[in-house]
Amino acid sequence: MKVLAAAAVAIVALGSMAACGDDKGDTPGTASSGATKKSVKVGLAFDIGGRGDKSFNDSAATGLDRVKSELNLEVKDLAAVAGESENDKYARLKLLCTTGYNPVIAVGFVYDGADAKNGPLARAAKDCPNTKFAIVDGGTTADNVADLVFAEEQGSFLVGAAAALKSKTGTVGFIGGCQVDLIKKFEAGFTAGAKAAKADVKVLTNYLSTPAEACKGFNDPAGGKTAATGMYDQKADIIYAAAGGSGTGVFEAAKAKNALAIGVDSDQYNTVTDASLKTVIMTSMLKRVDNAVFNFVKDFGEDKFKAGPTVFDLKTDGVGYSTSGGQVDDIKDKLDKFKADIVAGTITVPTK
Amino acid sequence: MSTDTTLSAAAAQPAAKPRSRRMSTSTILLIVAGALVGLSLVHQLANAPDVTSSGAIQAALQAAVPLGLAGLGGLWAERAGVVNIGLEGQMILGTWFGAWGSLEFGPWIGLLIGILGGAVGGLVHAVATVTFGVDHIISGVAMTILAPGVVRYLSYITWGSAGATQSPQVVDQVPRLSVPGVNSLKGLEEHQWFLISDIAGVLRGLLHEVSLVTILAVLLIPLTAWVLWKTAFGLRVRSVGEDPQAAESLGLNVYRYKYYGVVISGAMAGLGGVYLSTVTSAIYREGQTGGRGYIGLAAMIFGNWRPGGLAVGASLFGYTDALQLRRGSESVHALLILVGALLLALAVWEFIRRNRVVAISSAVLGVLSYVLFFSVDKIPTALVQAAPYITVLVVLALAAQRLRPPAADGKPYRRGG
Repeated sequence: MKVLAAAAVAIVALGSMAACGDDKGDTPGTASSGATKKSVKVGLAFDIGGRGDKSFNDSAATGLDRVKSELNLEVKDLAAVAGESENDKYARLKLLCTTGYNPVIAVGFVYDGADAKNGPLARAAKDCPNTKFAIVDGGTTADNVADLVFAEEQGSFLVGAAAALKSKTGTVGFIGGCQVDLIKKFEAGFTAGAKAAKADVKVLTNYLSTPAEACKGFNDPAGGKTAATGMYDQKADIIYAAAGGSGTGVFEAAKAKNALAIGVDSDQYNTVTDASLKTVIMTSMLKRVDNAVFNFVKDFGEDKFKAGPTVFDLKTDGVGYSTSGGQVDDIKDKLDKFKADIVAGTITVPTK
Repeated sequence: MSTDTTLSAAAAQPAAKPRSRRMSTSTILLIVAGALVGLSLVHQLANAPDVTSSGAIQAALQAAVPLGLAGLGGLWAERAGVVNIGLEGQMILGTWFGAWGSLEFGPWIGLLIGILGGAVGGLVHAVATVTFGVDHIISGVAMTILAPGVVRYLSYITWGSAGATQSPQVVDQVPRLSVPGVNSLKGLEEHQWFLISDIAGVLRGLLHEVSLVTILAVLLIPLTAWVLWKTAFGLRVRSVGEDPQAAESLGLNVYRYKYYGVVISGAMAGLGGVYLSTVTSAIYREGQTGGRGYIGLAAMIFGNWRPGGLAVGASLFGYTDALQLRRGSESVHALLILVGALLLALAVWEFIRRNRVVAISSAVLGVLSYVLFFSVDKIPTALVQAAPYITVLVVLALAAQRLRPPAADGKPYRRGG
């Protein structure tokens, strides 16, 4: 039994190491690169999924990596754990701001908390009044918080139009990871785009989870696959997956059913690890979180911090669609026309 | 060997009692047939072809397997008297080790490694609860908190910073089998004929493109029933869950049998995890178990701590989950016809048996189902996703008096005490 006990102790120790060992920032010792601006240390807290989700978080990670390489700043990022509480998120932000990281970027609406006035970010911003914060996709209002928000509906409009133009069956699908206002924006834009391109197109929609289940639908590839298979069985031939990590399940279903899918946030044609899944990804709705993160840090460095919302839309290339794989090359003219109309304001894309 | 015979004689008596309440094969077949006719009626009345489509049945089977395996895990532990609320954690270990093993050594060894991962989780729980007498709930919760941390750490050192939360795609999967000729039922299914198309859909869903792991998992249900109720080993495991002192007085090493139960429990949950990461999807993803361990535990309670019952529970939950995922709430909305009818029938039955409280509450629920059916076109997603939990609550409320957990379930046991 003593051996077993020792093993148990070892495993417990391993677990606690894991709890604090998942940051990957540079150690402060590497002064050579940070010599010029060593006072600026950028902290970033990921959403559930973190680095390696091949989607939303990876886009933020790309921005942070650019900050590190192009601006020569010291960076540190911390990952979130699925199922954690709001207090854990608050503790993460506070850890960053109290250990000298300024600015601090919170990635994902989860940092707003259930009540943005008293959520994790609002509390951390109050505790560290001299630190500048940014939240991607959030709506926390404070004098030291910048809200980096995206016009996802505009990007979704374009991929919706692409889906309708490319569909052979006249039915397309939308799968959202969680039934929240943010993801409903994707659905609204996608539906509007599909109808604008082809008035009689049928759009099927479904969500994998609700906030009551801690939005587990962003991490449920099995659920994504089941939902997508269900839609393909209903004669849909192109499905837009706005479901984070569940998207790979949608791609698997598309491959099995010999159909197509549309990625989200990152250019998922380039981020899927299985090459055979590339062919099913017709395009991806790009949400340039990387640009937002990079520009926010750059502006901060030039003393141009602006509290409140900054919208990244088609006009500023904050959103868009990808062309990797060349499957939408033949309809690019039509999509660019829609894009021009949206930028010019002749088309207003609904958000609900 | 003398322990063996004494024990079997001693426990033969209580084992015989519940058997009298058990359903005969013909009753079970009758219920299955009734369910099929009921679903066919729903299909026609509410124009909901997906309730018996092969796609839905296949998805339901795939959704039910992880729940059933978690339920079996719960069964093995609780039959040995240890509450294993750490099933979720052992499942998480299974998802990670299964995916890692499949990536490194191919699908079959991956399966084995995933099962071992879960079993190690079970072992830790056994060390804490059996050897050190830690409260079962506390140890189980600790397991559920510990597991995500361990796998995050392992992901980080295996796949590096670029993949701390998910694995590369698992390309190599365990093969899928089809019964020859079953694919030709597709035509029949598409005709939408009453009952015939429904049977075709169900058969095709169950027999076409079924992963070998699914077959293995389904076989584990009768295998568990056989081992636990028909072998000396199973009898001993159950005896330490019913009355460990009595078992000890007959010379049984109670600790050892509790260890067996809990380690097998972890292995079952681990297999459920492997199934999630390598069969229903082909990737390990942090948080992908999504509470399935707990729903498995609910299925076990629903099934009255018996393999057959928990299989029914897991199938029900898997079925509603699959319907909901495939068509939003459309098909589940149609199912309300059946649910309402069943509840009203139950109300009449219980009224005749003078169970006023149960009769009235099921009548109210039945009427509510129909009110809901006629007043809305789509059930809110949140309500559908809560369906497994609501079902368990209703079952617990209606049948709690008849549920019978192992007598010493969750109670601390000290040798010689």
